[in-house]
Amino acid sequence: MATEYFLRMGDGQKIFMTKEDILADIESGCADAADLGDIPTLSEDEMDHMLDIITAPGRIVGVEPGLEVPVTHDIGAIRIDGDQGNSGVGIPASRLVGSMVHERAFGADTMELGHIDYSFKPVKPVISQECQTMESCQQNMVIPMLYGAMPNMGLYYTPDGPFENPGDLMKAFKISEAQDSIQHAGDHGIRDMVWIMQKLQKVGSDGVNFDTIGAAGDGDVYASLNAIEQLRKEFPNMYINAGMAGELVLGMHGDLEYDGTRLAGLWPHEQVLLAEKAGANTFGPVCNTNTSKTTAWNLGRSVTFTKAAVKASNIPCHADMGMGVGGIPMLETPPIDAVTRASKAIVEIAGVDGI
Amino acid sequence: MGKRWGICLSASAPTTLSIFYKSLWDCHRIVFKGGFKTTNEELFKTLSDAVVSCKKDNVIAAVEKAKGQAPAVELIDNGLAAGMNEVGVLFERGKLFLPHVMMAADAMSAGVEMLQDELATGEGASTKLGVIVNGTVEGDVHDIGKAIVSTMLQAAGFEVHDIGRDVPVQNFIDKIKETNADMVGLSALMTTTLQGQKEVIELLKENGMRDSIKVMVGGAPATDAWAKKCGADCYAENASEAVAKAKELLL
Repeated sequence: MATEYFLRMGDGQKIFMTKEDILADIESGCADAADLGDIPTLSEDEMDHMLDIITAPGRIVGVEPGLEVPVTHDIGAIRIDGDQGNSGVGIPASRLVGSMVHERAFGADTMELGHIDYSFKPVKPVISQECQTMESCQQNMVIPMLYGAMPNMGLYYTPDGPFENPGDLMKAFKISEAQDSIQHAGDHGIRDMVWIMQKLQKVGSDGVNFDTIGAAGDGDVYASLNAIEQLRKEFPNMYINAGMAGELVLGMHGDLEYDGTRLAGLWPHEQVLLAEKAGANTFGPVCNTNTSKTTAWNLGRSVTFTKAAVKASNIPCHADMGMGVGGIPMLETPPIDAVTRASKAIVEIAGVDGI
Repeated sequence: MGKRWGICLSASAPTTLSIFYKSLWDCHRIVFKGGFKTTNEELFKTLSDAVVSCKKDNVIAAVEKAKGQAPAVELIDNGLAAGMNEVGVLFERGKLFLPHVMMAADAMSAGVEMLQDELATGEGASTKLGVIVNGTVEGDVHDIGKAIVSTMLQAAGFEVHDIGRDVPVQNFIDKIKETNADMVGLSALMTTTLQGQKEVIELLKENGMRDSIKVMVGGAPATDAWAKKCGADCYAENASEAVAKAKELLL
């Protein structure tokens, strides 16, 4: 009987497969990304390296010395406490303490301050509180401290926002009305995001992390890129990370453009060029995990997409790795065997500059 | 046209002459058009391409031309619906977008409408594929993914009742009863609201309705394993898969 190796499904389930079957899944995942993105698949050597990483005997793995990259943690400030329905470890701690623990105990190279709602729009009414906490963090910490939130255009549609829900309009075949609504929400979102960051920059924020750009489709990307462009003009030295929500920009509107490029249907290697053009310092490529496939298939797909983005990019790529992205299983606290394997592969094969 | 004519001749007057005419026509089709099968394939492809173009005018023109050349059910299944499936694939591949899906669905509906008379009387007269109630469970305000699923199901030919987001458990039960639904779709985007899917399933059991309805779960934290654990019939990864799974379970 052939030796079988421990790995996981995309939903975290433990499975055992032979080397041949794992390699076949890696090849299949790579081929899927190459086909969708019209990008090169990984070389045989790279796939063999991924196979070695997946079948490595240890419970955790790490990059070779000298290949270490900067790491950060989105919304890590509240993950120590996590008493509001989010994933935390239940230790009472303020956001300042949470951030300092990440800096001084966990080895985070940069951090971000985030609000429990983690979207820009709900930050508006609590902007003074956010400014005060940001100032405290800046006074107590050394590592770069960004402000992070989701553009989340979904909050601008009824019943949460002033604009008619494009989902409802689409279902009623009111297509141009739905497109108008998306455009209006996008324009409103730009104003909000810029206004919030103007306030936070005044109290010493090192910059901003636009997290999960595109979560509400191309309108989300439109708003984020334009907000980045405006912020870059106003704050030439601020640090801006453009992190995506998925490997494909969903076309909710379908015709929105940035600088003459249609946003819907863009893959990571195309997304990064626009982020760079808008003025981002770093780009966060994302590939969502398919829970019905193995981590070998997901990692092959994720690394293929990410490698193409890294190759196309002139700015550093800091891949989004975590629950349900980057080939990591979709679990609230992702298993460390899968997290470290995916992280090693994304650094050593895709060549990302940070995580 | 040839196929229908041939059938008519042989059915109404099964004479040597009619058989001769049919054979002659068959030969003509085989030599010049590649036979009956190919002709129908061309017909279906024209209809399918018209739907993929997402233009209502193209679909109306194609249906006008195809009407009467094959049973209406075949024109829909092999032509219009096949085109809609292709639209779904292109959507998943990032080549077509939601407005296109809707335009294609609208165009397809117009095409189906033109065939309604024939459908009502013709062979294989069909109705909707099934009735589906779709909603995001209580406590979860996420709407967009669920709305896309509703749209794709509707476009595929299901009667969809989208009851929105943050839907109280009882509302699912009421709507299922009201519409006599064949399937319920339960969406949740947060780990904290995932449990709501199980609550709906439990209430279905309490009301003695579980055996008469299929349950599909979806949303970012949902997985195949969760579907099994909470007692759903299936899990769908995305909108295209939701359509495929719904067809698998209901047809």
